[in-house]
Amino acid sequence: MAKVWVDPITRIEGHLGATMETKEIDTGKMKIEVVDKAYSHTNLFRGFEIILRGRDPRDAFYITQRICGVCPAPHGETAVQALDHAYNVTPTPTAVLIRNIIQAAYYVYDHLIHTYLLVGPEIGIVCKYPPMVPPALGKEGIRTLGLGSSYAQCIDIQRKANEIVALWGGKFPHHMSEYPGGVTVKPTGDRIAQTLTKATEIWEWCANVALKDLMAIKERNEIVSERLSELLGIEHRAFADIGASWGNFLSYGIFPDPENYEDWVRAQDGEASFRRSAVIHSGSWQNGELKPLERDKIVEYVKYSRYKDEISGKKPWEVEMTNDVVWKDKPNAYAWAKAPRYEGKVHEVGPLARMIVTYGLNWKIELTNPVTEESVKVEWSVMNPKGSVIDRVASRIVQALLYATKIMEWAVQLKDYASEYPIVNPKIPDYKYVPNEGEGWGLWEAPRGALLHYTRIKNKVIANYCCVVPSTWNLGPRDDFGNPGPVEKALEGCWLPNMSVPEVCNLLWPEEDVLGMKWGDALANAISPLGLAEVNLEYVNGAKYNTSLALAVVRSFDPCIACGVHTIELKVRK
Amino acid sequence: MKLSRRNFLKLVGAMGASAFLTTYKADLVKALEEVKDYWHICWLNGAACTGCTISFAQSADPDLVQILTEVLVGNSGLPIALPDYMETIHVASGTLAEELKERWKNSKRAKILIVEGAVQDEGFCTIHGKDFRDHLREAAEIADYIVAVGQCATYGGIPGAKPWDGEPNPTGAKGVQEFLYEVGINKTVINIPCCPAHPDHIVVTLASLMLGVVPELDKYGRPKVFFGRNMHKELCPYRPYYDRGIFITKPGEEGCRFKMGCKGPICNTDCAIRKWNNGTSYCVETNICIGCAEPGWPDKFSPFYAEVTELPRVLGVGAETIGAGLLGATLIGIGIHAVRHLGYREHKRKEE
Repeated sequence: MAKVWVDPITRIEGHLGATMETKEIDTGKMKIEVVDKAYSHTNLFRGFEIILRGRDPRDAFYITQRICGVCPAPHGETAVQALDHAYNVTPTPTAVLIRNIIQAAYYVYDHLIHTYLLVGPEIGIVCKYPPMVPPALGKEGIRTLGLGSSYAQCIDIQRKANEIVALWGGKFPHHMSEYPGGVTVKPTGDRIAQTLTKATEIWEWCANVALKDLMAIKERNEIVSERLSELLGIEHRAFADIGASWGNFLSYGIFPDPENYEDWVRAQDGEASFRRSAVIHSGSWQNGELKPLERDKIVEYVKYSRYKDEISGKKPWEVEMTNDVVWKDKPNAYAWAKAPRYEGKVHEVGPLARMIVTYGLNWKIELTNPVTEESVKVEWSVMNPKGSVIDRVASRIVQALLYATKIMEWAVQLKDYASEYPIVNPKIPDYKYVPNEGEGWGLWEAPRGALLHYTRIKNKVIANYCCVVPSTWNLGPRDDFGNPGPVEKALEGCWLPNMSVPEVCNLLWPEEDVLGMKWGDALANAISPLGLAEVNLEYVNGAKYNTSLALAVVRSFDPCIACGVHTIELKVRK
Repeated sequence: MKLSRRNFLKLVGAMGASAFLTTYKADLVKALEEVKDYWHICWLNGAACTGCTISFAQSADPDLVQILTEVLVGNSGLPIALPDYMETIHVASGTLAEELKERWKNSKRAKILIVEGAVQDEGFCTIHGKDFRDHLREAAEIADYIVAVGQCATYGGIPGAKPWDGEPNPTGAKGVQEFLYEVGINKTVINIPCCPAHPDHIVVTLASLMLGVVPELDKYGRPKVFFGRNMHKELCPYRPYYDRGIFITKPGEEGCRFKMGCKGPICNTDCAIRKWNNGTSYCVETNICIGCAEPGWPDKFSPFYAEVTELPRVLGVGAETIGAGLLGATLIGIGIHAVRHLGYREHKRKEE
């Protein structure tokens, strides 16, 4: 019926747009417009792999972090794992613990900032939950209405998480301290103590504020579902019913066990592996069936991406690609991202994939703070086995708490390990050493999903580098067979109300209990002076489309476009 | 003393954002009283990784909420002032986001343009169907102040780097100042490099612009107050090791990082004393400096683990022909030190 175009989609990383073709459906009670087909436009290209050609292989740790300033730490980690593999060295147990601490602290920041600053606002508004609405009334609003209370605290807590990264990595974004076979930072008593102090504070906030926010959202979502179902005349479970993708989830696993590193390396060698000794496992969940991860089942398609068709359907690291393969004006292409597939199937990657591959559809986790010995029980049954906005939010909050716990466990463990093992594998003789030849894969997870780096070393320099990153999996376009990517699929069926955000809120929450006003009116008063009365509205031929729910779907995948579109693989021409 | 361009360096020195804002709070309030408005910021992202935005969000004192609710609101009466345009944190998307940018262009109060990310050839970065180059050109034409944050926006950074196999840069990426000259806009860009930009550097620069003071800039457009001193010569806490000839060559040792490739000797930045993430640490404490505050980064500073004296691309010439400029002087300095180290070792041997 209509073509609704939103560009830029803000509160994500990078340059993303979406086109949504709508159709009208009659619910019996009213006629509504929903998304029929969606197209994800990734709008930036930089060519990182080209830039890496011919450089010192170790420079990849620094340069690939700059692919994305939101998730630099996982890029650095994956690059270093590929280097470990190519150097044929394993990091020492001390180094594994330090790397785990850096990455886990980084994860806490990322999951929290995404939950509260990026995806949270629409959820807080629809669910009438002030702590997750941005502080539109400033400090006074935080004090009197709790409007944005968690939002504001999150800024403080994410910063503390990054202070842990800086303790061990020099700074964040773009930490400095990982090296093939280990790390370059020493496990001093001071660093361990400060890590424990900061992690304790973070843990308490995750357990007492973030987890409660999640439960509150879940409860309020039930009220929204009842009222929405009543309003539309069809069963609608609100945030549990929007954002379903294909039901296939892929995880590479993260946080190896320092005592069982052989299990970790198997996946890099290309063997079928679940990486069960790690905190998060690897595998492919295909609508209920869990299979081990096999590296060589990954291929990329480019029919709708701005590259020449001859590279389509190949394993990413086997593609002979040069500058000439970039096709800026390719007809019918609508994205810079490619379309990666696993076993030929579209897979969603990210926090929910990690939880489902590791814990299945029902999570029961008990977490004890090793410093204070407080415990919390986390229980969550996945509300939509094909994924939903609320399940993705839940996965992030649960993982933030899980990793905050792990940071402390590892810091305690590190005290004993530090005296026993060096920080770098003794096989690395000095800072001049680079092997003449080698080839390595790094398989890790960024917060937004599965991340692969591949490096091939020839004559001590990079002959070929390739990254397959989470946002190409999630935000990529259709593949050669016409199957839409996870976000494109997840947008299908999403309702685009023909009302403004305050009007929708007034319908869902008719009680006049916010300063004597309805929720929608109170919101309108708060956001209108900021010029935001028309927020999330797009007009097509005079008709109004409210894109709030669609944007919540897109954001629930935590898009990171800088990652998704840097990609281009190259081999040195012979 | 009233802050001016002339005394900026002396008065501000190593002040953090917190100290700066406390010291000049009265002046800021006074400067804002004239117009009942907030500070109009347009934050554009080009070929960026968003690391500078995230770094800005690590600002500790004031933190992001304080900046939005206290610093930027000015005398507008609003409880909170968001940048008029900023893709990563703004509430509005799509058409409204672009409308708010137009509103920024029409605001009567000082318009600050912040740019994150490099500028590429046409067709590699589009926002709302329009090339980033056009977005930037239009905004730069009417902006009162232009601030480039991070390596990419200042000097092209990694998106502007060249592959090491002789191929050209894939997208023709460059810094904002270079782009503006190219399209005939003769305005000064305040360059705040580092990868990412330091939140203190951003906040202090913004606050001084609010006072109507443009900090004194060096020949690369960087505020001298932050980038006027050589890290190795003047600020590095590991300098005593260097003076005594104690160098790390293997992972896990303790000493000066020079021989593992530290770029401190050719890097001008105050990282070593300002530190990062609320004063927690800085690069050299856990590894090396890779020189990200300097134009020509990363290419002239790669390989990152190569000693300064062995860099193949410094000053765009082979190492054998180095002999002039800043680096030449530094190398002579290093030469003198090497002699001194020998003397020190001799001396030590005699003692033993």
